[in-house]
Amino acid sequence: MFNLVGFGPDGWGPALLQAALMTLALSTAGFLSGVALGVLAAFARLSGDRFARGAAFAYGALFRGVPDLLTIYLLYFGGSVALTTIAGWFGARGFVGLPGFATGAVALGVISGAYQAEVYRGAFLAIHRGELEAARAYGMSGLTMLRRIVAPQTLRYAMPGLGNVWQLVLKDSALVSVIGLVELMRQAQIGAGSTREPFIFFCAAAVLYLSIAATTGALFRRVERHSHRGLRTA
Amino acid sequence: MDVGFLVDTLSQLMRGVPLTLQLTATSVSLGFILALALALALETRRPSIVWPIRGYITAFRGTPLLVQIFLIYYGLGQFRPTIQALGLWGFFRAPFWCAILALTLNTAAYGTEIIRGGLQSVPYGQIEAARACGMSRSLAYRRVILPIALRQALPSYGNEIILMIKGTSLTSIITLLDITGIAQQIISQTYRAVEVFACAGAIYLAMNYLVAHLVAVLEHRLSPHLRAPDIETAVAIEGALH
Amino acid sequence: MSEAPAIAPKEQAENGERPAVVVMNLHKSFGAVEVLKGVSLAARQGDVVSILGSSGSGKSTMLRCINLLETPDSGTITVGEETLRFAKNRNGRLFAPDRRQVERLRRTTGMVFQSFNLWSHITILENVIEAPIHVLKRPRAECIAEAEALLAKVGIADRRHYYPAHLSGGQQQRAAIARALAMRPKVLLFDEPTSSLDPELVGEVLRVMRSLTDEGRTMLVVTHEMAFARDVSSHVLFLHQGKIDEEGAPDEVFGRPKSDRLRQFLSSAQ
Repeated sequence: MFNLVGFGPDGWGPALLQAALMTLALSTAGFLSGVALGVLAAFARLSGDRFARGAAFAYGALFRGVPDLLTIYLLYFGGSVALTTIAGWFGARGFVGLPGFATGAVALGVISGAYQAEVYRGAFLAIHRGELEAARAYGMSGLTMLRRIVAPQTLRYAMPGLGNVWQLVLKDSALVSVIGLVELMRQAQIGAGSTREPFIFFCAAAVLYLSIAATTGALFRRVERHSHRGLRTA
Repeated sequence: MDVGFLVDTLSQLMRGVPLTLQLTATSVSLGFILALALALALETRRPSIVWPIRGYITAFRGTPLLVQIFLIYYGLGQFRPTIQALGLWGFFRAPFWCAILALTLNTAAYGTEIIRGGLQSVPYGQIEAARACGMSRSLAYRRVILPIALRQALPSYGNEIILMIKGTSLTSIITLLDITGIAQQIISQTYRAVEVFACAGAIYLAMNYLVAHLVAVLEHRLSPHLRAPDIETAVAIEGALH
Repeated sequence: MSEAPAIAPKEQAENGERPAVVVMNLHKSFGAVEVLKGVSLAARQGDVVSILGSSGSGKSTMLRCINLLETPDSGTITVGEETLRFAKNRNGRLFAPDRRQVERLRRTTGMVFQSFNLWSHITILENVIEAPIHVLKRPRAECIAEAEALLAKVGIADRRHYYPAHLSGGQQQRAAIARALAMRPKVLLFDEPTSSLDPELVGEVLRVMRSLTDEGRTMLVVTHEMAFARDVSSHVLFLHQGKIDEEGAPDEVFGRPKSDRLRQFLSSAQ
């Protein structure tokens, strides 16, 4: 049975590993998109503008409250319909599907952005007000203060939360398989269907997911420890 | 805005609500019982018990729920002859029961960690006071440790329930017609993803809000000891006792 | 209000000579630090023994060994007629193998902690009746009646439906004393009962403890309250670095301290 996932002539090992890399790439792209969206939303939540606050709050509540699968369907089918319509103007016929990787990355970005917004907001609120006052008293401009004081501190407090969100993105990437992208989940499905040995394939997938989670988790904790230098903790 | 379509979609989606609620309620209840048992088992600190449980928790928290569902639904189907011999095939070929099993195992892994956190947060002095009165270990757990631990765990567990509601949406992938399953059907027929998303999303948000509210009410009921003293209730209890 | 049976009359001579608590040659180390280096104590019925010493002298550890909240490394412990059985476990460390005996012993010793340790999720009244109902298995109505009498005795009857967090430190400690008394213990153990209290609240707790000594209860008190120790004790122990430096009647120990250490300790405590 282990031959199947090994590296022999019949082995799906290379295919699975390649798919695992795809999962990693997809998750990274999604997480980074989430950083952009999350920072924006956190800004909006903390701003003085009531409309911005409301919009950011709605964004967060919506995409944390609705199942991620539905969000993926929304972006894929909604986007594909839009794309098909546009392609139709140019004379194309039939259904044009959105590219799997991009859609998956955007979906993961939208979802993780909602969670990341909460993390950044909480981290910002955890910064001692006194430090910001001191920055202002020393005549730092808003942008300089942001760059030199706010951003590094926010990042420092946000690290544990970001570690959790990353694990969430990694697991959610498996859902992107439903739109056909050949990441780890889909590859395992293909192998399982082809060889009629689903058990070993999904076990292999599980082991690969765990390995990625463990290594990236350890990396996050490394960065956390480094960012916590000089901080006194309980 | 096509109100007719929205209303129609909503009514179709509502038909998936019972299944979603069934899946959630069953898996959360069974998962809680399992999580409580495992958390208490972890308290024994015996390596032969602790290591397997830790392994289970790591496996189910570190892998996607979808993989777990597929492993049980498709993966175990590979061992059909063995399972049939055990007379369990009726259970394992039904998507509903496979989903319940996967969801239960998943939520129990997270639940065990939550309850463990609650147990650790019980002030040690109060446990000592229980021991000093001559309470046996099981009595101390029953009367002091668990009541306090579970109260502390309530907010996190409420969150876990909401995560489970979202988790049930994955069962649509193994043919179950819950809210997401029906939504996916409607989308693939009409391609009106935005409206269907809005309707289905609204239903899920309403359920989440309801659960959050119920948990808050339960929290409120169970924690008079954390709020300002309630003189009226004290007087009322006084009357009731005499 | 019915007569509360929990008030114990002063024990008469018949039982007066049998020791209530005997502790012999206790040793206890925490890791590499030896905290008790062979301490012994004997208390008769009705004795009030004060245990003094600076921090780290081992006085709390000694007390906590008596009801086995700490397990000594060697020594014997006898409460009433029962001597605790010990055995060695796989690592050669001492432990009490007879759980039932330990629980039995703990039912006869009531402990009052420095940080009160009232159970935070139930009311004061429920705190006091908890152990009598669930450990001693006494009927609920009887426990409630006795609890109300005890709470009245310590002066917080009007707070009995409040939760611990809603009481002041002094009130909580008095409630904790009532909780210990509800078990009808033969020996009361006090582990620095007033050390966590604001100075203004210390008095109310000491008053309650004084009234208990007047009743003739057997009490072992670890304390920093010198005046109290001098006034009510029948016997005083001064611990230093895990050994008993001096002991004797209060007038001896306080009035005519023999060692320099004790003299230093007494003067710094003034």
